[in-house]
Amino acid sequence: MATFPEYIAQNEERDGVRFSWNVWPSSRLEATRMVVPVAALFTPLRERPDLPPIQYEPVLCSRATCRAVLNPLCQVDYRAKLWACNFCYQRNQFPPSYAGISEVNQPAELLPQFSTIEYVVQRGPQMPLVFLYVVDTCMEDEDLQALKESLQMSLSLLPPTALVGLITFGRMVQVHELGCEGISKSYVFRGTKDLNAKQLQEMLGLTKPSATQARGPQTAPQPLSNRFLQPVQKIDMNLTDLLGELQRDPWPVTQGKRPLRSGVECTFPNTGARIMTFIGGPATQGPGMVVGDELKIPIRSWHDLEKDNAKFMKKATKHYESLANRASTNGHIIDIYACALDQTGLLEMKCCANYTGGYMVMADSFNTSLFKQTFQRVFTKEVQGSFKMAFAATLEVKTSREIKVSGAIGPCVSLSAKGPCVSENEIGTGGTCQWKICGLDPTTTLALYFEVVNQHNAPIPQGGRGAIQFVTQYQHSSGQRRIRVTTTARNWADAQTQIQSIAASFDQEAAAILMARLAVYRAETEEGPDVLRWLDRQLIRLCQKFGDYHKDDPNSFRFSETFSLYPQFMFHLRRSPFLQVFNNSPDESSYYRHQFNRQDLTQALIMIQPVLYAYSFNGPPEPVLLDSSSILPDRILLMDTFFQILIYHGETVAQWRKAGYQEMPEYENFRHLLQAPVDDAQELLHTRFPMPRYIDTEHGGSQARFLLSKVNPSQTHNNMYAWGQESGAPILTDDVSLQVFMDHLKKLAVSSAA
Amino acid sequence: MEDMYIKPGNQERGWNDPPQFSYGLQMARGPQRNLLNKRAAPAAASGEGAPPMTPPSSNPLAPPPGGVALPPLHPARPPPGCVATPPPLGPMRSQREADSSQSESEPDVDAVVSVLNRALAACRQTVKDQVCNDVAKRLHLLEDSWRSGRLSLPVRRRMDSLSLELQTGHWDSADEIHRSLMVDHVTEVSQWMVGVKRLIAETRKLSPELLEPLQKPSEPSQDPADPVQDPLSQS
Repeated sequence: MATFPEYIAQNEERDGVRFSWNVWPSSRLEATRMVVPVAALFTPLRERPDLPPIQYEPVLCSRATCRAVLNPLCQVDYRAKLWACNFCYQRNQFPPSYAGISEVNQPAELLPQFSTIEYVVQRGPQMPLVFLYVVDTCMEDEDLQALKESLQMSLSLLPPTALVGLITFGRMVQVHELGCEGISKSYVFRGTKDLNAKQLQEMLGLTKPSATQARGPQTAPQPLSNRFLQPVQKIDMNLTDLLGELQRDPWPVTQGKRPLRSGVECTFPNTGARIMTFIGGPATQGPGMVVGDELKIPIRSWHDLEKDNAKFMKKATKHYESLANRASTNGHIIDIYACALDQTGLLEMKCCANYTGGYMVMADSFNTSLFKQTFQRVFTKEVQGSFKMAFAATLEVKTSREIKVSGAIGPCVSLSAKGPCVSENEIGTGGTCQWKICGLDPTTTLALYFEVVNQHNAPIPQGGRGAIQFVTQYQHSSGQRRIRVTTTARNWADAQTQIQSIAASFDQEAAAILMARLAVYRAETEEGPDVLRWLDRQLIRLCQKFGDYHKDDPNSFRFSETFSLYPQFMFHLRRSPFLQVFNNSPDESSYYRHQFNRQDLTQALIMIQPVLYAYSFNGPPEPVLLDSSSILPDRILLMDTFFQILIYHGETVAQWRKAGYQEMPEYENFRHLLQAPVDDAQELLHTRFPMPRYIDTEHGGSQARFLLSKVNPSQTHNNMYAWGQESGAPILTDDVSLQVFMDHLKKLAVSSAA
Repeated sequence: MEDMYIKPGNQERGWNDPPQFSYGLQMARGPQRNLLNKRAAPAAASGEGAPPMTPPSSNPLAPPPGGVALPPLHPARPPPGCVATPPPLGPMRSQREADSSQSESEPDVDAVVSVLNRALAACRQTVKDQVCNDVAKRLHLLEDSWRSGRLSLPVRRRMDSLSLELQTGHWDSADEIHRSLMVDHVTEVSQWMVGVKRLIAETRKLSPELLEPLQKPSEPSQDPADPVQDPLSQS
């Protein structure tokens, strides 16, 4: 058997799953003593270009409370054509189409290499994708022009059969009719009123749409568009003109944006639809307003929120939450593209993106490459030519009897599906074993938390392994309905006698992210300072449980390799913008947290503990400690925080660059040295979504602060002279360094008074 | 490969705006190198050992060669650092583009417009008048912009390629070129490009007999269906 790191990597590769523990404690009591719960980071649609699509329906367990999908863990009697469900032990008859199976002729879903498998099912008509552009017109001309061009460009990236619509808003809300005739018409609504679906339907003259007959079998193809949503191929010229003619809102105040979502709701419930909202400023009127229109009263900051001084926030948040709930119920995605120098109200609106799986993009202006390229990448296609984005997904989790699911943290909403797999202890979005994810892509990752429920001293379950099945049903961008099934299992172990094997199975990277998501969740739903204290307590308890030490002797403390990076992750998490909010605006914090709660493990880890690489003449580029001692004069550093890519030129390098040595032919080496991190940065920039900021700075440069604030301040003005000769760059901060943090941690862990 | 480039972001509007990839470069799929994903192992125990010593650079000013270590005085030394592999060649069309533009020759506006108009003429038989007129309007805009020098060379070159692809029935290639123009040069082309897009979409649906006049080698501007003066064209 491979080593644990290899095992973990293989499983992630194949199934898109990373567990905090890969050997599970067999009793509930022992599981709680592990400190870090049994939990998984799961990427439902992880890219698997090698996976052959299976063109038949999955076979399900016949027990009504189970309905698990046939998988490689099931025992099969080929002669009797029976299979035993590994979750509930029900014996099931194979359907007639499986008459020909045998040991040498197994269906794909039973083969171990297909622990993840994807079924293509065709039930009902192929629904077109719907894209609704909701555009703020209250912004500077230059910005509006850039936005218009981006929207026009996007029409070229949409498939010809997609339906598109346009709503613009400023003081008024305009729903545009997309006819093919020469005249453009629109319906105008006051921005302050809130209309419900019925009122809107009447006003827009929409007849009761046949689509509301939802799931019934469709006999004749229904007219799938109306005056407001039309196929791209039909109206692209008109819409391009219409976009081109959009004027800046003449009213000096900014927007209300209310009744528009009802528009999509009454026409297309339950189809994949993407509502893309482009926002140039905060809402100043209507139920969703986040700031008044007097410029002298600024939008709320974290200080205001702490002092409960933000008078619009609660009401606005409630308003947007109800919008988000309506959208997610209908399977609609809400994207927010917020481009303005000041805040736009992402704090209040974040639920729209977070509940529906929509994107949140934050930029300074629509006329920036950051916005333009990020927006372009929304329409990225995979190798076969269809969009990477997927729609209207539901995730269902099934578990063996000894384990239950407590909840999920990520861009989803609960479907309130009770069942035997559902734990009473809720974590995140809990109390359910099914969630809806209206919009997702190959990197969307959910954190799922489990509870071992086996009683203490109950025998280890038969077969010795616990199993979890993830069933993701979704609408592929080609219109097909697909079902991806991942079934995975791990060994049980008695924590009293086999603690070493459990410890050896710890995945510190996954555990760090899983705990981090918990911490961020707590920070968003409870009060600030307690979260740090809670996080510290968990870390100390983990050290006490799994460290090797002599009581009251901090210097004896040792952590095995599987845990060695974990304290560092926690150290950086504590300092990160996810938990330290006062250096950022509420909107920025909401934005960072939004990204953190949906990205996969690798990206999330970069966000918590940025990667630092050094380039010098002393050898090939190498990773270096995220520490002030890594900042040296004759080096170039490349730092990736996910949100920024920064290239820092050490003092000497900067001087050489300024003197222009790279231009001279005999110093070609130097030119290559300067170019190397730029090339590597380009590779990162090529695929990252959303586009990060790009910073080129040097010793003494003002932008160097982004590097200095991230590195561990092992050298500060307080201890600069402790090492004798000066090396590295001292940081002016009173933050505790990693060394001090570790010292404290060891002291507390070994203390018998704990 | 003029269509594979990267240019700086808009530093005036967005601080630290990242560089912008051209459509061609963005689409190029190099080998997926999982880059920069390693972390340095921390020192074994806290406070143990000073950080690595390096001689401080005592000279504040950049010394001329011969002063403090200027390593580049070793021409034989291979450039250190990972010189990233240059982006792989884009799809075939860029090759063809390089070929067709040969010795930097200026694309011929008449040839391009002629192809587009012939395609439009072929469409008039089956496609609604309104649509054809809309397309015609935009083709006029294109021609105007070109003749009055408002289109940059990359745009002219790519339109030339596009017309070639259209003429030879390579619909997907033509479509791809239209997309690359919309992405890379939206300001220049957005007014009329959607007409070209529509033209490609409609032309590819035509039955082969109707396509014959399009695919014949170009005759100098003899275009019976061309001069439909759209009454609404004065907008």
